[in-house]
Amino acid sequence: MHKEIRAVGDNRSTGELSGKIVRFGVILAAVGAAASLILLFTGTGAERFFRSYLVNFAYFLSLSLGALFFVLIQHVTGAKWSIVVRRVAEVLSANIGLLAILFIPMILGMGYTYHEWLTPDAAEDPAIASKLGFLNRNFFIVRWVVYLGIWYLLTSWFYRGSVRQDETGDILLTLRMKRLSAPSLVLFALTVTFASFDLLMSINPRWYSTIFGVYYFSGGAVGAFALITAALIFLQRCGRLGMSVTTEHLHDMGKLIFAFIVFWAYIGFSQYMLIWYGNIPEETEWFLHRQTGSWTPVSWFILFGHFALPFLGLISRIPKRAKGALAVGAAWVLFVHWVDIYWIAMPEWYPNGVAFHLLDATLFAAMAGLFIAAAGRRLGKASLVPEKDPRLADSLAFENF
Amino acid sequence: MSGDGKRKRYGYLVEFADVSSIIEAARRVRDEGYVKWDCHTPFPVHGLDGAMGIRMTILPWIVFGAGTAGFLTGIGMQWWMNAFDYAYRISGKPFWSIPANIPVAFEMTVLFAAISAFIGMLGMNRLPEYHHPLFRSERFRRATADRFFIAVEADDPLFDEEKTLAFLESLGGTAIEEVED
Amino acid sequence: MGTPTAEKAAEEQIHGVPLVQGGLDFTGVTDTVCSVCERPGATKGWYISFAIASTGALTLFAMIIYLFWTGVGVWGVNQPVGWGFAIVNFVFWVGIGHAGTLISAILFLFRQRWRTGINRFAEAMTIFAVICAGVFPGIHVGRVWFAWWMFPLPYQQLVWPQFRSPLLWDVFAVSTYFTVSLLFWYMGMIPDLATIRDRATSTIRRLLYGLFALGWRGSNRQWHRYERAYLLLAALATPLVLSVHSVVSFDFAVAQVPGWHTTILPPYFVAGAIFSGFAMVLFLAVPARQIYGLKNLITLQHLENMNKIILATGMMVGYAYSTEFFVAWYSGNPYEQFTFMNRAFGPYWWAYWTMATCNVIIPQVFWIRAARRSIPVMLTVAFFVNVGMWFERFVIVVTSLSRDFIPSSWGFYWPTWVDILTLLGSFGLFFTLFLLFLRFLPMIAMAEVKNVMPQAHAGHHGGHRKEQV
Repeated sequence: MHKEIRAVGDNRSTGELSGKIVRFGVILAAVGAAASLILLFTGTGAERFFRSYLVNFAYFLSLSLGALFFVLIQHVTGAKWSIVVRRVAEVLSANIGLLAILFIPMILGMGYTYHEWLTPDAAEDPAIASKLGFLNRNFFIVRWVVYLGIWYLLTSWFYRGSVRQDETGDILLTLRMKRLSAPSLVLFALTVTFASFDLLMSINPRWYSTIFGVYYFSGGAVGAFALITAALIFLQRCGRLGMSVTTEHLHDMGKLIFAFIVFWAYIGFSQYMLIWYGNIPEETEWFLHRQTGSWTPVSWFILFGHFALPFLGLISRIPKRAKGALAVGAAWVLFVHWVDIYWIAMPEWYPNGVAFHLLDATLFAAMAGLFIAAAGRRLGKASLVPEKDPRLADSLAFENF
Repeated sequence: MSGDGKRKRYGYLVEFADVSSIIEAARRVRDEGYVKWDCHTPFPVHGLDGAMGIRMTILPWIVFGAGTAGFLTGIGMQWWMNAFDYAYRISGKPFWSIPANIPVAFEMTVLFAAISAFIGMLGMNRLPEYHHPLFRSERFRRATADRFFIAVEADDPLFDEEKTLAFLESLGGTAIEEVED
Repeated sequence: MGTPTAEKAAEEQIHGVPLVQGGLDFTGVTDTVCSVCERPGATKGWYISFAIASTGALTLFAMIIYLFWTGVGVWGVNQPVGWGFAIVNFVFWVGIGHAGTLISAILFLFRQRWRTGINRFAEAMTIFAVICAGVFPGIHVGRVWFAWWMFPLPYQQLVWPQFRSPLLWDVFAVSTYFTVSLLFWYMGMIPDLATIRDRATSTIRRLLYGLFALGWRGSNRQWHRYERAYLLLAALATPLVLSVHSVVSFDFAVAQVPGWHTTILPPYFVAGAIFSGFAMVLFLAVPARQIYGLKNLITLQHLENMNKIILATGMMVGYAYSTEFFVAWYSGNPYEQFTFMNRAFGPYWWAYWTMATCNVIIPQVFWIRAARRSIPVMLTVAFFVNVGMWFERFVIVVTSLSRDFIPSSWGFYWPTWVDILTLLGSFGLFFTLFLLFLRFLPMIAMAEVKNVMPQAHAGHHGGHRKEQV
């Protein structure tokens, strides 16, 4: 039928676009990295460098993990609508390999980012001393090798399985991915939780919150859905995917962003309200830093920018079905998600107020460039849609009502 | 009811046996230019809205408005009761404790919005409507079970006793009958 | 490439088997569902069940009267455990109620079309479970005749309700939940009530069902708004269902009591609620489909899907248990650490291990497909999940209160016979209402089931789906 012809039309490959994306990414990364290194060696010092590095690493990691979550959840539910958008998500999740390499500087910078529990004084502090069996350099590195290893295996396994199906058309692959997606989600939940404790919560080793893993996950999911949406619209602007990804799919992506914006707000509110209400000093300290000095407007900005504005902006179906509006929304969400990560990490090092530094931006550019280049390279290697997925026809014909 | 003892005509009722034929027929009735007509189906048939040319209802906006009103009521009520009209201190919290007011404000938002969705739907559909000419038709009883109907009202400006009948007969329904008002 | 049979099985698993089996058409669906409530008399089994259930309900009322007459001293609650069975039962029943809205709203938004077979059922269960839940805070307040103080009504002392208390949020959350669930349930039923009205052979049935069908006649202009309203209600009910059990969890989590004050409690409670609710739906749906011959509408596929959700939410509950345990250690806070060790190895260790076994270990059998599709296995798991979830609330409420900060104020809670009969009686009330529902109302959403049948889509010519691809 005509729908099927559309899927295998010439918009299935990036062609020379892939090279352009990679070139753009590499240039951005080079400029960002050069600027960062200049700043590092011209007086800023390693402390600021590694702290900015951690924020941006946590940001891009959350995006890849969110994309992995998207892929897993489509498999586990056997979703049909999303087949045409799945490849983009798979490509973004496969950037975990890149992030594993980017993790190495994190180890070098631990003394600046996790000095609270790495300093010898930590053993004197009873609130920290009891957890040094968990929070110590060696065990931290071992854990990260495990997390990154698991994520790498998961993302590459699902990516490769999907790409292999493009050639063989073997429907058993679909089934195998579906079967493995459920235990993968279990692994995903456990690793992301502990990774978020390690990466962000342990910056202040005195503070703890059981919901923290879910908070990091929810933000990453929103960011990843926004990134997938933005990538789809970008590819369409470049003349790709024009026939296979329709308004209906973008509408659904918009719904997912909207739903996870609400979910994020729910998790954020639960964490804030319970700590505010309980009013136990060891917990409120964390929020107190964020309600002090110039961090206060940032907190308000997150409340409105990360929740109220996208909530009102995406509640109607009209913007979700308008490509331009949705692209603006996705870009905005990607930005506020970065602010959110910044707001989680930075006040613990700079409790007196916002200490924005050019490094925050240059390191962002460096990592974004690498992220884009890696994704662009992979996009060029396979079809832009899983073209032999047995449910592809359903996905192409999909309509909201 | 007209004076000559014969009841006024409500219109014609055409019966169809499956989804495809009613969608096709609805498209033709729409294109013919009728306005006072409707389809009756046991379940919402997708594609029929387009075939009939029904525009999107404004219900979502009503619900959004009601939800906003609910939220403001929720916040306003809590402010007025606990921070203004009879302010008293509890567990060291401020008189007006926004975080503590969110749950109730949220519930009020949902309550107002949900009630408006329900009442709004009924109101715009003019329900309850216990008396309707179509209920006179014995055949029409299957409209809620397994048959699909198109009813064209005699009040329609295009309605003509014979031409309309001929047109409806050409739609390929399984039965056609006249319904009295 | 696998063998042809493996391919066929794979095909089935990927595309799913038809939701309606046995070759039923629209007429068949209507007949199957309506015949249940059109029977002149109920079966013997129904009367026996109804007699048992209503005895239970009467026991509940008797216990309530006894409680009011004598005072809360008839219960086992005392210092330091001031919250006993009443709160445990309240949370338990509210939790059960969550599956209905989940199935009708969230699965609707996720376009899980298999929900149509069971949603009416589950929604009814929600309403009845929330009624059972509502009984407990009402009778637990002590001086019941002042219960109306919880509502924002002006009275002579000019004191308003205290909105900074999570117990008051509960009043709003649960009553909103009840109202919205009722609207959702009733609205979904309007077209089906019209179906029964139009099939009615006696005037009294025609009048009664007609009264509640509101004159529905399936007009497409009406369907258009109806569907929009249904979608909106689903979109509203989805955050609502999350909020209700979150608010219930706030009752505990805003306090500073170790074991209660933990930030993961809201989503953890929601997952647990859905978990227990699905187990209850399963527990009711399996016998009902057997007895009323609904196997073509509630197929093994439906049951398997529910089992998958039970497994998924069970894993979430397990995740919350382990996170709490880990963070209690990680916190370095001796009170937190003590609380969790006390749960597992203190005087209520048996409650804790019952909870862990029933909620985390037993549902693991659902990783095996054969277990998900075996009726005896799923009934057993559903039973244990409900037991486990009741014990979860018992563990949370009782262990934390019985061992608070100062050892001199420690105590031990034990229920009295009134507590136990009240709990059993609430099951009686629940089943009484449920049996009445089965007898008189369409227990499967006919209009919705018809909507997901292949015949409901234009271009269907009775062929296999292969033709569409």
